Amino acid sequence: MKMKDLKFWFKDFWNEYKKVKFGIVGFAFLIIFLLLMIFEPYIVPFSQASSRWRDITYWDDNPSGAPPVWTNWFSSKKSPESEKITKYQSEVIEGDLKFINSTFEYDYKYDKAPLDIIFHGKGTGNMTMIVKMERPDGETFDLVQMPIQTDGGNDIRITLDKDSGAAAFDFAQKFENEENLQHVDKTSVKPLDIYFAQAKSDMLNKIEPLKGIYKFTVTAILLDQESSYEDPFMVVSGRVSGILGTDNSKRDIWSGVVAGVKWALLIGLLTAVIAVGIGVVYGVISAFYGGFVDSIMQRIFELFASTPLLPVLIVMSAVFKPSIWTMILMMCAFFWTGPVKTVRSMALQIKEETYIEASKAVGASNARLIFKHMVPILVPYSFASMALYVPSAIVYEATISLIGLGDATIVTWGQILHDALKGGAVLTGLWWWVVPPGIMIALMGMTFAFIGFAMDKILQPKLRTR
Amino acid sequence: MYWKYAAKRIFYGIVMYIILIFIFSVLFNATNEATTKAQIEEALRAETTKMRNMDVQEVQKYIAERRAYKYHLYHLDQPIFQRIVWRTIDTITLNFGNSTNIKSAKGERDVWTIVSETIPRTILLFTTAMILELILGVWLGLKKAQRAGGVLDKSTSIATMVVYGMPRWWLGMIMIMFFAYQVNIFPSGGLHTVPPPQGFAYFLDIIYHMALPMLTLLIIDFWGTAYLTRNIVLGTLQEDFVMSARARGIPENKVLFGHTMRTSAPPIVTMALLSLLSSVSGNILFEGIFSWPGMGNLYWIAIEQNDVPVLMGLLAITTALYIAGLVILDLIYGFLDPRIKVGGKA
Amino acid sequence: MNENNEKILQVNNLKVYYYTSKGTVKAVDDISFFLRKGETLGLVGESGCGKTTTGVALLKMPTPPGKIAGGEIIIDGQNIVELSEKEVRKNVRWEKIAMVFQGAMNCLTPVYTIGKQMMETLTEHKQMNKEDAMKLIVKYLNLVGLPEHIVNRYPHELSGGMKQRVVIAMALFLEPKVIVCDEPTTALDVIVQAQIINLLKDLKQKLNLSFIFITHDLATEAEVSDRILVMYAGKVAEIGTNQQIYGKQGPMHPYTQKLLKATPRIHEKVDELSFIPGTPPDLLDPPKGCRFHLRCSEAMDICREKEPQLIEVEKDHCVACWRCTKNV
Repeated sequence: MKMKDLKFWFKDFWNEYKKVKFGIVGFAFLIIFLLLMIFEPYIVPFSQASSRWRDITYWDDNPSGAPPVWTNWFSSKKSPESEKITKYQSEVIEGDLKFINSTFEYDYKYDKAPLDIIFHGKGTGNMTMIVKMERPDGETFDLVQMPIQTDGGNDIRITLDKDSGAAAFDFAQKFENEENLQHVDKTSVKPLDIYFAQAKSDMLNKIEPLKGIYKFTVTAILLDQESSYEDPFMVVSGRVSGILGTDNSKRDIWSGVVAGVKWALLIGLLTAVIAVGIGVVYGVISAFYGGFVDSIMQRIFELFASTPLLPVLIVMSAVFKPSIWTMILMMCAFFWTGPVKTVRSMALQIKEETYIEASKAVGASNARLIFKHMVPILVPYSFASMALYVPSAIVYEATISLIGLGDATIVTWGQILHDALKGGAVLTGLWWWVVPPGIMIALMGMTFAFIGFAMDKILQPKLRTR
Repeated sequence: MYWKYAAKRIFYGIVMYIILIFIFSVLFNATNEATTKAQIEEALRAETTKMRNMDVQEVQKYIAERRAYKYHLYHLDQPIFQRIVWRTIDTITLNFGNSTNIKSAKGERDVWTIVSETIPRTILLFTTAMILELILGVWLGLKKAQRAGGVLDKSTSIATMVVYGMPRWWLGMIMIMFFAYQVNIFPSGGLHTVPPPQGFAYFLDIIYHMALPMLTLLIIDFWGTAYLTRNIVLGTLQEDFVMSARARGIPENKVLFGHTMRTSAPPIVTMALLSLLSSVSGNILFEGIFSWPGMGNLYWIAIEQNDVPVLMGLLAITTALYIAGLVILDLIYGFLDPRIKVGGKA
Repeated sequence: MNENNEKILQVNNLKVYYYTSKGTVKAVDDISFFLRKGETLGLVGESGCGKTTTGVALLKMPTPPGKIAGGEIIIDGQNIVELSEKEVRKNVRWEKIAMVFQGAMNCLTPVYTIGKQMMETLTEHKQMNKEDAMKLIVKYLNLVGLPEHIVNRYPHELSGGMKQRVVIAMALFLEPKVIVCDEPTTALDVIVQAQIINLLKDLKQKLNLSFIFITHDLATEAEVSDRILVMYAGKVAEIGTNQQIYGKQGPMHPYTQKLLKATPRIHEKVDELSFIPGTPPDLLDPPKGCRFHLRCSEAMDICREKEPQLIEVEKDHCVACWRCTKNV
């Protein structure tokens, strides 16, 4: 088939396709997915989610198991959102010792305290780090005081939750009544709850939020000339985080879900195209040669068709522990059986057509007849199968991953769901962990179902309703 | 005529099964043998710990002798081809050996016992769901075909496509989260409450536990059947004999339910059962989510505990059931279609 | 054939249009004819001229999206176009007018035995007990030359010729007044064709039946028909007796003349087969004036402008052509 013919056929096909409403919807969704995939680094807060999904340090600042930020709309008590504050006021005081002050402003307007506040900075050498807080009610005091010794340019991480416990209790002591102080266990108090609570009696029991502007000053006292401290920023680890919340390992689910788009498309399309390609060629060859070759090929085909796919996939995965590419190959090894029967019967009909005989008479080789004449005609009929295979492949991969036999080095929706199941998301009601990946699988399935059914409708006019 | 067809088909299925088991034996030979050897060592260790009287050399000799004996027993001392053949024969005769870890309800380690316990439960859940889903699906499909292109038809077709790619087990997770935890109507899993109630209440209890998984299955599956039915019926309605029947004055409902449906029955039944059979695969996970103690759940457990013998046994049984399903399908089709049942020309 | 026999079927100004998404196809556009008792009226024409559409319309069953857009079909004094579907199904179809389909067509339900299908049809129309019904069925099967055990066979077990006979038997056993035969012999091989034609002629004589015989094969038409109706592009071109059309004098309408010329004769030596140039017109948008004028070698100016009416040029012979009727 020449390029000209191809273009013409395609235009004709597209005209027909446009008429089918849900086909357009499907196509629109496909475009959306492609856009998500292309613009992934720009739309997710954690652009290295793909490669560092299992790297704990990458996610360390996130809260664990936090719901999405928009759930705040539905609750009367507002939870603080995770945010990253990079704006600060810098003040450098020279002298015997160099003081570098960085002051951050945090506007607290919530009813519950954040889970943690973390200060980062790049430091070299010897220094003492002090963190001071100024509350809206005027109270000012030191939260943290710790010596740091580090080699070149390492990240210095100070967290209030872990590093400032003593300061919190001391602060509370000033205002709390005797009774409560005796009953409360020092170690059970969460520092941040106190920092953001109104200072008064009974503050350990009934926490009332103190809303307003909080100023945090991070002071790095450099102990010698070679030391330095720069690029500070502050992270508030809130109770709600991200568009889709976080999971038990503090990973931002939105980043994970978007990262999964490319894998889903890759797995689905690769499997579908290869499998259908093999199937069509197989069917044509079988029909073309007929006789003994056909019989053998059909027997082999039936052998494959008699195997229950998933159990075999599962056992093979359990035994051989494959990577994603091996898994795709395994899926192709079974999916190809789908189009064979229909392609073969159509090929049998075409074989009898005169133009095939004519080509033979002119001296065309068998390969030429098969690949240049028969296969191109049959491929369009398999487009519908191809489209419908994509969701199947994606679900299979997700299924294998769910059991834990998938390729753990990549982020697919199946992997996320596996972690969710293992992490007890179902039991503890972390719906934002379970719902989004599944919805994505379903949406992608729906997209290709729309496309596939639309193509099916066009290529099989018998089913047209008037 | 039909019996010849049936016998041929059944024989064929059996041959397929044997070939497949042989292939599996080849594929998994290394793993299977490693497991067998490990089990032998474990057995030897168990034997020799009790022997305190003998000195080290004697114990070594004993172990070597016993090992040789066991290897011979399990054909491990024969060339590789024979080993594979033996394994194939063992598998087909349901001689799966013992599990590595898993125990049956009564504490036995025999793989066949472990697996066969779970089979009826799987069959209970899925056969019931299949029957319900077939009835609902065909009924809806007929309604859609009657008013093809209408509102019902179009909207249900959209629904079919929406759930097309939805994993059953994921919907199960959602359903559990909502119906079992959020709104506490259904139990979150298991076959029955512990301890199980007696008599008729036991029967009701099982139904109660089946409700949520079945609901989940129905939500996804029956659209597909409806869509297929609709297409097949529509295709049949365009055949000449339908017009011919109408011309003869046959009333419309007899044309639809008699001539059309009866002719559509073979392909509908085949397609419906085929899609159900292929969904057997997805059901593996599905059972696990609901902790329904069937074969699927056993796969989960076997994988977690890395129990290779149980996995092999499961694979063999699943394949057997799958092929049996395909054969039954062909037999039903042959029975319903007089062209096959009666065959030939007069 | 007795010219004084009563008219049992009268069709006046029948219009059958197909309402498609691309527009309205005027497949049958105002045709009128009649059928006398005991005669065979042949309906002849090229593919797509509207003859099959007319055939099914007579049973008030135009193939969707076709609809009867106007006109009357009067059978036994009743205009069936006005009747409700229920009325037609119960009393008209098969009882007053029946159809013999193409035997090679898939017109017998593959999952029911012949006996069941015939029994079903019979009991739907007449109150009869099983025994009497079966007796009737066997009688008609024998009449068409089939043995009794056919009732237990499935359609796929019969040959094309046998199926055709079954279809004929089914059309006859309610003894309808009019029987429409739609290409009953087209897909059969020549020997079986001859058998079937002889059977039809035989039955017609024995039972004094009235046929409408639709075909595109002029030779068969000549064999069976008493009168011939030639259709072109949804309209009647010419109606005449067998003698008038096929006889020495020859037909009058240019189209009919060309049709006959294009049919090869065994006894004549022909150097070149003549054919009619061009293709039938698109019925979505039929040409102005006479529908044949674009392919007619004798077209006049008026042919391009005005449609010719069907005018009787001699007894039982009508033509719709300006050239032929200008002297009348």
